[in-house]
Amino acid sequence: MVAAPFRYRRTTSFEEAVAALCECGDGAKLLAGGQSLVPMLNLRVARPDWVIDINPVGAEPIEKLDGVLRLPALTRHRAIEQSELVRRCCPILAAATAHVGNPRSRARGTIGGSLAHADPSGELPCVAVALGAEVTVRGPDGDRRLPVRDLLVSFLTTSLRPDEVITEVRVPLQPARAGWSFLELTRRSSDWMVVGVAALVELDAAGGVAGASVAIGGVADRPWLVPPEPLADLLGEPPEEALLARVADRVSGMLDPGDDVHASGAYRRRMAAVLGRRALAEAAARANQEPDR
Amino acid sequence: MSDPGRQRIVLEVNGDRREAWVLPSESLLDVLRDALGHHEVRYGCGEGVCGTCTVLLDGEAVSACLLLAVQAEDRSVLTVRGLASGGEPHPLQVSFLRNGAAQCGFCTPGMLLAAVALLQREPRPDRERIRRELIGNLCRCTGYSKILDAVEQYAVQAAGRSGTDG
Amino acid sequence: MAETGAPTREALRIVGHSPVHHDFEDKVEGSLLYAADWQLPGMLHGKVVRAQVPCARITAIDASAARAVPGVVAVLVAADVPWNQVVERASGGLAELAVAMPVLAADRVRYLGEPVALVAAVSAQAAEEAAELLQVDYEDVPGVFDTERALEPDAPLVHHEGNVLVTWTIARGDLDAGFAAADLVVEGEYRTQRVEHAYLEPEAGVGWMDTSGVVTLRVATQVIEHAATIAAILGLPTSRVRVISTYMGGGFGGKEDMTVEPYLALLVWRTRRPVRMVWDRQDSIMASTKRHPFTMRYRTGVRRDGGIVAQDVEIIGDAGAYPYLSARVLFAGCALASGPYRVPNVRHRASAVFTNNVPTSAFRGFGAMQVTFGYEQQMDRIAAELGLDPLVVRERNFLAKGDTLPTGERQDTAVAVGECLRRALEALGPPTPASGPGRRVGRGVAANMQPYGRTIWFHDQASCWISLEPDGSLLLRSGITDLGGGQAASLAQIASEVLGVPLREIGVHIGDSQLTPPAGGTFATRQLYMSGNAALAAARELRARLVPVAAELLGADPHELVFEDGMVRERDAGDGRGVRLAELAAACRRGGVDCSLLATWHAESGTFDPVAGQGASFPDYTFGAHAADVEVDTETGQVRVLRYAAAHDVGRAINPLRVEGQIQGGAYQGLGYALGEEVVTRDGQPSSTLLADYLLPYSADLPDVQAIVVESGEGKGPFGARGIGEPPIGNPAATIANAVAAATGVRVTRLPITPQRLLGAIDLAREETR
Repeated sequence: MVAAPFRYRRTTSFEEAVAALCECGDGAKLLAGGQSLVPMLNLRVARPDWVIDINPVGAEPIEKLDGVLRLPALTRHRAIEQSELVRRCCPILAAATAHVGNPRSRARGTIGGSLAHADPSGELPCVAVALGAEVTVRGPDGDRRLPVRDLLVSFLTTSLRPDEVITEVRVPLQPARAGWSFLELTRRSSDWMVVGVAALVELDAAGGVAGASVAIGGVADRPWLVPPEPLADLLGEPPEEALLARVADRVSGMLDPGDDVHASGAYRRRMAAVLGRRALAEAAARANQEPDR
Repeated sequence: MSDPGRQRIVLEVNGDRREAWVLPSESLLDVLRDALGHHEVRYGCGEGVCGTCTVLLDGEAVSACLLLAVQAEDRSVLTVRGLASGGEPHPLQVSFLRNGAAQCGFCTPGMLLAAVALLQREPRPDRERIRRELIGNLCRCTGYSKILDAVEQYAVQAAGRSGTDG
Repeated sequence: MAETGAPTREALRIVGHSPVHHDFEDKVEGSLLYAADWQLPGMLHGKVVRAQVPCARITAIDASAARAVPGVVAVLVAADVPWNQVVERASGGLAELAVAMPVLAADRVRYLGEPVALVAAVSAQAAEEAAELLQVDYEDVPGVFDTERALEPDAPLVHHEGNVLVTWTIARGDLDAGFAAADLVVEGEYRTQRVEHAYLEPEAGVGWMDTSGVVTLRVATQVIEHAATIAAILGLPTSRVRVISTYMGGGFGGKEDMTVEPYLALLVWRTRRPVRMVWDRQDSIMASTKRHPFTMRYRTGVRRDGGIVAQDVEIIGDAGAYPYLSARVLFAGCALASGPYRVPNVRHRASAVFTNNVPTSAFRGFGAMQVTFGYEQQMDRIAAELGLDPLVVRERNFLAKGDTLPTGERQDTAVAVGECLRRALEALGPPTPASGPGRRVGRGVAANMQPYGRTIWFHDQASCWISLEPDGSLLLRSGITDLGGGQAASLAQIASEVLGVPLREIGVHIGDSQLTPPAGGTFATRQLYMSGNAALAAARELRARLVPVAAELLGADPHELVFEDGMVRERDAGDGRGVRLAELAAACRRGGVDCSLLATWHAESGTFDPVAGQGASFPDYTFGAHAADVEVDTETGQVRVLRYAAAHDVGRAINPLRVEGQIQGGAYQGLGYALGEEVVTRDGQPSSTLLADYLLPYSADLPDVQAIVVESGEGKGPFGARGIGEPPIGNPAATIANAVAAATGVRVTRLPITPQRLLGAIDLAREETR
């Protein structure tokens, strides 16, 4: 099948991209990595009037500043996967990115694109929510910043206005004595997640849990950030298997995932408990190994 | 041929400067095949999950079906027919033949290019590293073993030829 | 050895080795032209427009808007097809209903994706627009989507002739007496799923009218003999249609029936222009033929020592909406339902039942594959219930040469299945310990037998034309088609062995319905047996003609001549004196000896009595056994295959590297079938037609398959070879199911063994033990 005809323009800056979106209106789609958009074009299920190619905008190197890791929106997955800086400062992000698609899709796909696509079975939306990451969004009236949690509204739906574009992702650096775990259940080595869990666990000097952040993908129409309440049982306690299992079970009881061709909702709910427990355990184990920074 | 709506792009394919008049909606795959005569880049799925249409874009393995032809303007594209030099097959191709790594051959160009791209970045990948890099290149005939044998053997050979140990 | 005077293994020069043939060089270089890689001036794009509903009456078709799209050259509907029906008669007319299938749906649609119209346009874009603008009015008709329902007396009829296409019976001995004598009866029901061939090359071809008005199709097809059917559809004599097969990017049986051929031919014939048609992958997943889902019920009676005394098997196969090759697939399932075991009192019944699902047809393994999942799980269950070692139970019952098969035929070649089983297990080595808490490891095996060669009552034959050219090179012409398994290359290797001509001096021309002698299609693992034997016969006959001429030229004893390196020499001549084949060719011309000849190989023939359920079925079988170690994560249900070994007795490996490749590739395909592949449908609609959702294993999903080649030397193919194309796909599903049962104590009797399904079975077992 061939894509339905569209008009095409390129932009070399985010300002230009915003201006193009304003001019071209609702029938426009931004092209970044293309790994999600172009299949839809090829199958003729997406039929934009305009395709605005923002690849020429490019991406400066990933940098660490003011307690965050700053990733330009057009940073390719491969660059994140291989970045020494990311592996050091935010290993969960490097680990999760390594699971995105296959090597060809990681060569082209971008972090901004993944978040804008908002697939609840995507690794990056899940880990970005767990990390408390933010995006900077540019529109005709300038920039605004919002948490990824608020960006991802529903299945393939973001809170972006039609004339806005993500320009960067800002990931808070993890505190000392924090450990991480990213576990996913996939049917094959390169599929979207059936269920995925991103967990960050911080320990106090006594080895008790000082804080935890857990996001679960594949169980709702967007990554599900575990609310404070079930995690409160962990605070101050040593992260023992039985406690983690109880917390994970409670969390999974709060979920109501739907069925799809790859798994039933009941199975996903159950796997959220299994993976949740395992991820918390692995994150806690890593936290124990972390030298105090 | 010039035609309203078509734009002229110039790109390098296998070292040759080529021009094509393309519609924005045309994929790099279709333009390489039908406009530029590179039949060795083939259609498998249009979704980017089978690897049949793999080409190297400025040295990186990508799915030609997921790139618009206009995106390849001023870029360099390598197909499997660009691997040979001076009329001689690339040693990786020789390794494929020696190991029986091709049966129907449809996945072969993609496998070769994915492996070449890997080996350009990492000169001494082990079998498991090679196996992981080939995720996303489907083969329905071989069960992958002989493909892995061929790449692994070539990697060892190439590293040995370079004389150094790192 | 099968023939006296044939070279011994040690004396073979090229058979038994793995030289590279030119088609593999072309594939690796990238220069091979597959079916879609062909361009002609003025070529149009052809597209099939498909029904969007699974079961309906067509009340109106309006093609006017479609025809008005600029660039559209033709839009064809049923009324434009001169002879709009294909009647398969797959079993040769034996026992099956004769049900016609339209080329383009006229007044009824019976499955989602059934072709309704054809478009030819100057661009793919115009063809898509025209397809979207074709107006078809449907009136829903109640459909039936599972075989249980289709068998009920009040079920909707897929065809007015009835919902059961054919029922086969094979029976021998006294079933009741057998069960009465049994110490234990084990019953099991097993279900297999609908799967997709998923060859990497989609269905494709280019057609044109040649200068004499012959409709010529250059297509990815396993069977050029469809030319006759295509001609009939067009209302033309067979001589006005020519089918050329290309080297295929995979076939696996999915290119055995016509795919693009009739549609291409219609568009070419109507427009008088070249047309290219390449199916979208998603259309192929939706509407191309699939493997028959089987529901199998086994009842096995055994003695306390594990010896089988009786077996009763009932198989229901989902034929989908049209017959295609269902009658043959169910026959093969019926004949092989007891596998490589001696069963003195036996009854197999197998029915092909219509539904409004996508039609099912040939797929590597062809019915004999699905039943392995049944009989090999029965063997393990018997062992478990009797407290016996599963290997011992198998060995107690394995067939041996000379035994009688359920069809009443005598197994007249060696049965090396026991050796295959032992070697597969050896290859696994010691068991691996579990990698962590909640993980369980287990080892499983499965033996199988798969026929090679066509059903005997078809009087199969294959021809090969060999010519010694004036320059001493050889030309082979054969109607064989090449799936990627080296079908063409094997013929060259055989001719090279007999005539001593180097491979690079042998040209092989294949697959042209008007220019190459008929070889029959490439299916049923028949080509090495049929065309291999034909090539061998042709090469031997040519050699026999050349010998007296060479003897005279050399003044040598004709019995002491050796053919090698393109020369004929006297054995042990010492002085290196010989005659080049080019000289020999010239001498033959002078002496009136014809160096170009056609050899036809006839398979053994026989008849089958469908009423008695006894008679000739297949010429021979390939026996094999696989073994696997798996680790099950009992919390998620995921199965990780740790090690896998596959052993098959191939009689004689003509090209060992290619034989290993077939074993590894076939086993991998079988593992995909075991663990994840399924086209999931509900009410005739697939859940997804994306390749991304069809779970074919990638390189990191499974371990390397260790291929073990056993050579008993007693196959009926050339040099004692047996076919190896299909056999390796049969064992994996049962091997994995048995390994999983060993690991968890839980048996999954439905495919694929998904994590969710296994977890459900584990849960059920836990509840039952409470």
